[in-house]
Order: sequence, then structure tokens, then C-alpha cells
Amino acid sequence: MAEIQFEHVVKQFTRQATPAVDDLSFTVNDGELLILLGPSGCGKTTALRMIAGLEEPDAGDIRIDGQSVVGVEPKERDIALVFQQYALYPHLSARDNLLYPLKVQKISKQERQQRIDQTAELLKIGHLLDRKPGQLSGGEQQRVALGRAIVRQPRVFLMDEPLSNLDAKLRTHMRTEIKTLQQQLGATMAFVTHDQAEAMTMADRIAVMNSGRLQQLATPDEMYRFPANLFVAEFLGSPPMNTLPVHRQNGHLAVPGGWSVPAPAHSPMPESLVLGIRPEAIEVVPSGTPGASPASVIVSEPLGSEVIVNVTLGETMVRVRTAPDIRPRPGELIHLRPHPDGIRLFDKETGAYVGA
Amino acid sequence: MSAIAEERPRAPSRPATSEAAHVHQRIVKRRRQEQGTRLEWAVVHMLYLIIVLFFFAPFLWLLSAAFDGDAVAYIRWPAHPTFANFVYIFRHFHIGRALANSLFISTATMLLSVVLVSLAAYSLSRLAFGLKSGVTYGVLVLQTMPLSATMIPVYGLARDLHLRNTYLGLILVHSAIEMPFLIWLMKGFFDTIPRYLEEAAWLDGRSKLRAWWEVVLPVARPGLIVIAGFAFLNAWSEVLMVIILVDDPGKSTIPLAFYQTFRSNGGYNEVNYGLVAAVGVIYVLPVITLFFSLRKMMVRGLMSTSRGL
Repeated sequence: MAEIQFEHVVKQFTRQATPAVDDLSFTVNDGELLILLGPSGCGKTTALRMIAGLEEPDAGDIRIDGQSVVGVEPKERDIALVFQQYALYPHLSARDNLLYPLKVQKISKQERQQRIDQTAELLKIGHLLDRKPGQLSGGEQQRVALGRAIVRQPRVFLMDEPLSNLDAKLRTHMRTEIKTLQQQLGATMAFVTHDQAEAMTMADRIAVMNSGRLQQLATPDEMYRFPANLFVAEFLGSPPMNTLPVHRQNGHLAVPGGWSVPAPAHSPMPESLVLGIRPEAIEVVPSGTPGASPASVIVSEPLGSEVIVNVTLGETMVRVRTAPDIRPRPGELIHLRPHPDGIRLFDKETGAYVGA
Repeated sequence: MSAIAEERPRAPSRPATSEAAHVHQRIVKRRRQEQGTRLEWAVVHMLYLIIVLFFFAPFLWLLSAAFDGDAVAYIRWPAHPTFANFVYIFRHFHIGRALANSLFISTATMLLSVVLVSLAAYSLSRLAFGLKSGVTYGVLVLQTMPLSATMIPVYGLARDLHLRNTYLGLILVHSAIEMPFLIWLMKGFFDTIPRYLEEAAWLDGRSKLRAWWEVVLPVARPGLIVIAGFAFLNAWSEVLMVIILVDDPGKSTIPLAFYQTFRSNGGYNEVNYGLVAAVGVIYVLPVITLFFSLRKMMVRGLMSTSRGL
């Protein structure tokens, strides 16, 4: 297995004002599932394609197992990539699709058969092997595409939004399957997605990208609890972190028309701050509770196990996650109190995290 | 109910109940809206028939006259059906030789065109190189040049290179004539083939050339068949370049033989229609056969590749 290192990688496409990937440095550890997460056009797919050798970096170095792969042909890299559109060879049966990379590697007939059998059993595609890709459903094509990657036993697995063409139910199912598979194989895997739920559930670590730049690289838990900047705070989580402008008032931070929380002791602090708080770190409390502020309900969204209540607190819209039995009606006034552990502060100018 | 509907998709003619009668009326009304009235149907089909007859008539004449011992310039059932015209042209006009020449030249042109066109079109579709759009549109400009404008230079070139009265000369010229158009056509086919297919093959360990051969070309098969068909048909029917490049009867092709049948049999005043029609049949028969076999392959090819992409 293998380790992938990015060192100050830059990729600029002609006819584009800004680089697709800008000074990107990170490491995918051996046996790790790293998820590259970000909105479309953030450079995550370009980064993945550079690992595969389908794009070459303009500057910086990419190393696999310590050896630079810049300028190395894709066929020499021993990397498997599962494409968003699966990229099965339409003129070959599923079996021949799996056989193709094995024939290229000149693997003996006996071992080929063995590997195909193993892979087919692992992915439960034995009954599909004699069909052409056109005769398979999206989910089945997806499995065969995964199989074509697994059967090779490559150094590194790359996945380019492989679940985005599946329906919601199948997607959730395949998340678990891919994660289990990756753990079983102990494979190094880089996985690109724009779906934060996919990233949270599958990743060992997440690398969030925006405008070609790495925003944060951390475990899902750490990233959820301590986002490095406002972009990550607002990208991760469903619903995302609430962000409210605050101003200082004699040792306190005041949300206009709402809460007042003690300013953190450590200094220096930037001039203007933004207060971030997750929807589940806000409590609905009886009126008159110390530290609570009234908020007017816009709408309640019941989700079965929980309710997302949208309210206006002062001038800002805030989302609150509550127990399923609390279901205030639009226009109703409720009282909200922030949980002190849930408060995160960001620099309004740079967006950077400054403290809790 | 559903069984009845399946058995008789066109609602039962004599409905049992008044409700069924109402339904029946609705269905008839709906069908009329979708398919038009009987009068419309008749008019449309009449027009089809006229158009088909108009285009089919020359073929009908060709067929009837070719087997007529005393053919005339209009369509009639042969008074004495005979093969004499065919026997005559094979004995006196070297039609066998011309047929063999045409088959050989057209097949060779087809093969050469498919190889060159697929390479050129793939390059224009995929590779990034300087002046690419200049080259691409330059190819298109070549196509706009009238063939007759190139007659003199092609003649001079062929004479100086000793390519007159040779198979090679005809094959090269015939390939060149259609190539710009075919390159553009094939570039369009390649453009529709997603790049990730060949990228998948590269990552599976194939060189770019092998990936092109093993993945891109099989997927582009319908396009290649169209290219092959066009190249063959053009080489088969092209006559202008044959006239200027060939004066050795042994190198004559079918269209040239056809032309000569007209001229050498009593000049333009007294045409032996039976002989002309017989050569005509020999001329168009392979083309029609090829077209119909190609049509089937193209449809099948298109169906198999458009799925699963």
C-alpha cells in the first residue's frame, strides 16, 4: 500500500484567471480514506486527476511512496480511479471489463479467474458478469466499476464522486459498503465529493477545499467541532453552523437584539468578530431563564427524530435543532440560550477561527 | 378488461353497454386527434407514393431495360426478357475487368481512408497543439474547393510522379477527395466519445495508442462504418478523376466503362438503351447492396454504443 504527498502543488488551466489548485499541500497516509470535500469548481477533482496522472501540476511535487510521480505516465502509476460516470468499456461485458486491467498486467489465467471470483463475491456481482454495461442499472454499473478497480489490487484507489449518480437510498448503502471495503482491503483511498454527509460518514480525515486552496485538513469530528474558518463552518453540517455578527460591549460579546456572552480572556482579538454556533448547541428554554433571548419562529421542519426550527434572533436567521416534541408554530415567540461550549469565534475580515 | 384491451388494442367495434359505448367514442375521438381523419391519411399516403415513384422510376427503367432485347427510353415490361445485354457487355466492353478494377480501387481507398481519417480526426478531437483551430478549419476549407478546379494540377502531378494509369494514383486521389469531409465527420464522432473511457484504459495500464485501438475505436465503430461507406461509395462512383488519370482500357473503372458504353455505341444520336441499362445495373447493384448491409450495421452499432456510455 502507499502514501500520497502533495507539496505546494499549483495547477493553472489556460484561459482561467485563477489557478484550479493553488499551493496545495497534504498527505494521504497509508491505509487511510481521505476525502477531498468542497463545492464544485474548488479544484478537488483536479487534485485527484493529478494523482492519477491525467493532469500534470505546473509547480510543486506529488509523491507516491516517497517517489515523485510528476511526469510519470498514468499507466506507470499503478493507480485505480473510479470515475463519476463509471467509465465502463461499453463494448465489453462486465467480466471483460474486470479482465481488461488483468490482461494488461499479463496475469496468469488461473490467477485472473481467482481474482474475478473473489471480486465478484465481494461486490455480489457474480450474476451480472455476462452483461454489457448498457444492460446494467446505475448501481450495478457502479459495482462493476468498483470491481474493476479492486481486481487490480493497485497501490492507491481514487474515487471521483462515484456515488453522485445514484439515488439517495442506494447512495447511503454504498457509502457503508465502500468504507467497509476500504477497511477490509486496508487500502489508501482518496475520495472526492461535494456531499458533506458523505464526507462525514466515510472519511478518516477530510480535506476541505475552496477556490483551489486547502481550507482545513482534520478528522470529521475535529472539523465539525472546530472548523478552521467560516467557510468550513458553513459548509459542514446539515443544517450548517449559524453565524452571527457580534460587537464588543464592556467585556462581553453582544449579538444585536439577542445574546450577550462573556468575551474570551485571551487576547489579542480582531476588531470585528463573527459568532458561530451549531444548531444543536442552542437550547429552547422557558422565558426568564438567565442568558436566554426571545426569537420569533419562521418555520419548523420536522424530520422525525428531530425538528429544525428556523427563527429570527435580532436581525439574523438562526436554525435550532430541537427534540421532536418541540414544534413551535410560525410567529410564536420562543426563548433560546446558547450552550457556552458550543460558541466559536471567527475573524470577520479573514474568516479565520480565533477561539472558543 | 385488461385482457380484452390487450387482445384488441383498437377498441371493440360493438360495445356491449352504454358506458362502454361512451368509452369507445372517446377512444375513437382521441385516435382521430392523434392520427388524423381518413382523408388526411389518404392524402399523406398518396404524397408518399408519388415521391417514392418519382425516385424509384429510373431504377425501374434500368432494371426493365437491362433485360429487354429491344429496350426503349421509357419504362415497359420487356417483350422478350433476355440476358443478352449482359453477355454482350461482358464480351465487348471489358466490364468484368472494369468491375474488378473498381472493386479493388474502392476497397483500397476505403481502407486507406479509414486508417488516415480515424488517426487525423482523433488527433483533432483530442490533442492540444499549436494552430489547432487553424488546421481544423483549414481542412474544412479544402472541402469547399470544387473538384474540377483541381483537374489540371492533379493531372500534372500524376504525370510527373508516374501515377497515371496506376491503381496507386487512383487510390490516392480518391482518398484525398473525400478526406476533409470524412475527417470532420469522424472528428464529430470522436467528440461524442467521453474522454474518461480512454483515461480509464490508460489507468488500467495501456499506452495511448493501445487505448485508442482497444477502447476508442470499438466504441467509434458506427462512425468508422459510416466513414468506410462514404469512402467506398465515393471511390466507386467518381468519374472525373478517372477520366483524366486513365487512358489504358485495362485500368478502366465501372463509371468510365459506363461512360464509354454511351459513346462507343453509335455516338449520342443512337443509344443502345439495353446495353447502357445493363452496365447501369452492374454499376448500381454493388452500391445498393452495400448501402443496405451498412444501414443494418450502422443501426445495430449505434444502439450498442449509445447505451452504457
